[in-house]
Amino acid sequence: MATAEIEVPREALPTLEQANDDISRPIYAPSWRYYLLLAICGVGILAGGTAWAIQVKNGIGMAGINNPVSWGVYIVTFVFWVGIAHSGTLISAVLYLTRSGWRTTINRAAEAMTIFAVMTAGLFPLIHLGRVWYFYYLVPYPSTRLLWPNFRSPLVWDMFAIGTYFTISLVFWYLGLIPDLAVLRDKFTGVKKKVYGTLALGWQGSVKDWSHYRRLYLYLAGIATPLVLSVHSVVSWDFAMGIVPGWHSTIFAPYFVAGAIFSGVAMVITIMIPLRWAFGLEKYITKYHFDNMAKLLLFTSLIVGYAYALEFFLAWWSNDPIEKESFAWRAYGFYAGPFWIMVFCNVVVPMSLWFKRTRNSLAALFAVTIFVNIGMWYERFVIIVTSLAHEYEPGGWGIYVPSTTEILILIGSFAWFFFWFLLFSRTLPVISIAEVKEHLAHEHEHGH
Amino acid sequence: MSTAIEMSGILAHYDTLGATRAAIERLREAGHTDFDVFSPFPAPELEEAMGIESSPVRRWALIGGITGFTTATALTGLTALAYPLVTQGKPILSWPAFFVIMFEMTILFTGLFGFAGVLFHTHRSRKQLSAGYREVFSVDRFGVYLQDVGASLSEIEKLLQDTGAIEIEEVAA
Repeated sequence: MATAEIEVPREALPTLEQANDDISRPIYAPSWRYYLLLAICGVGILAGGTAWAIQVKNGIGMAGINNPVSWGVYIVTFVFWVGIAHSGTLISAVLYLTRSGWRTTINRAAEAMTIFAVMTAGLFPLIHLGRVWYFYYLVPYPSTRLLWPNFRSPLVWDMFAIGTYFTISLVFWYLGLIPDLAVLRDKFTGVKKKVYGTLALGWQGSVKDWSHYRRLYLYLAGIATPLVLSVHSVVSWDFAMGIVPGWHSTIFAPYFVAGAIFSGVAMVITIMIPLRWAFGLEKYITKYHFDNMAKLLLFTSLIVGYAYALEFFLAWWSNDPIEKESFAWRAYGFYAGPFWIMVFCNVVVPMSLWFKRTRNSLAALFAVTIFVNIGMWYERFVIIVTSLAHEYEPGGWGIYVPSTTEILILIGSFAWFFFWFLLFSRTLPVISIAEVKEHLAHEHEHGH
Repeated sequence: MSTAIEMSGILAHYDTLGATRAAIERLREAGHTDFDVFSPFPAPELEEAMGIESSPVRRWALIGGITGFTTATALTGLTALAYPLVTQGKPILSWPAFFVIMFEMTILFTGLFGFAGVLFHTHRSRKQLSAGYREVFSVDRFGVYLQDVGASLSEIEKLLQDTGAIEIEEVAA
């Protein structure tokens, strides 16, 4: 919606009609490669689903979690996916409010990613629960025992934060989609016309309608910005409210939010590079966009690196022997491997983004983001597992190793996420058509 | 609308923002206010030309926010009082902790009420699209549609032509 510059060479500027066709072309034009990818995801979901079913049947003992490490891969993966979800809102809301025009062609896919990542993350508290059928205990409803949720508990805050985040992200995404659904309604015939027409809610692009649309879009951007900051803060308080060494720290909220944006931007780049290639969207998603995202990645990497260093500094500065031991063990104990993988992937590798050559090479950028995706999963593993494994009493120390069930469910979660994204990419426009047109129209008419 | 007299409307197509804006301004100068403009993308300049100042969606959002905050305050406070069990050594009414819920529900209700507002003001229980709507208006054209022109048909047609309409059609309302 913002009309700031997108640096596309003038001669390459498509007309509005071309933009309309280019962006809606991939819809319902699947190839065998698409079905192959969908089938691979299907197998992954089946593997994860089967593992979960077996766990539900046999009990939570199928997972490697036990005392003292009672939070393992499930919670690690939950935090990982909630983090991935953050960049969508960052790109669509924060960059909208700051009038960063370069978001125009990437916001739709990033928002879709947010929704699918929250859908994936939301499964993990249920999986972790073991007796999944008791999840409704978290919901405030007038039960016959007059029991209500404990609103002082970070886990209940979490449910409200994630629930709100999912709902608001969905509304934001859908509102942006309405004009594009009308485009598809007018383009297709038969059943597709009916379906898209129903979803478009009678949208006809009347200027009065646009004024309501723009107003709500602005408000949603305005409320999504504090919301996105609150969501990962609340997730971080799941840890920081506990008196576990390595968790009980006031830096956790900003530390987690920066980490979430870092991992989310990495995932956006990981997805956008193949998507742009597969759908031939080079005219719309240019190197300029990737360059900007790479800078954002570098910036958040610096914050994350600073937070890692600060945690160690605070442990030393506190002069608390338990804290000091906890962090020394984190770096040199049993889990030193994951710790140094985390540092290498999240702090060392992104430093290559200082160089324009890395930012402008899509292959190099893609490789960096894969490292970051891996590194950020390990970050959560390091924070959660090393702290629990090495608390106060040496007699209570223990080691946790993920079980096959947990690994299969982790793989299944990736399959589940990409499955939804694949479905989205062939049924809805991956770039906001209306916003691209707005930008192009101004370029054509005013030529700036 | 099923009135006895068949009313006729006029629809002009434009292909630039500038021309559409000019047409709106000329129509308003000539004293016409009851017309609709279709645009393939959000265009604040057209809203301005039509004299649209603010959308009532703002009130929906405000009422939503207040409702959300109040609901959450009542939910957390009243349930804590209904079962006054001290947990975590905190007071029964632990407002700092409850504030997280209040914050989230304020945002949730603002968004949902705002969306309901947009649906209410744009949809208006309309089963089918306006008689003046054409599929090209979702591609790259703008449309200016006067539903009931009556006797001044030729005069309006000339005005629309002068402002650079690329196509003009008469529409049976």
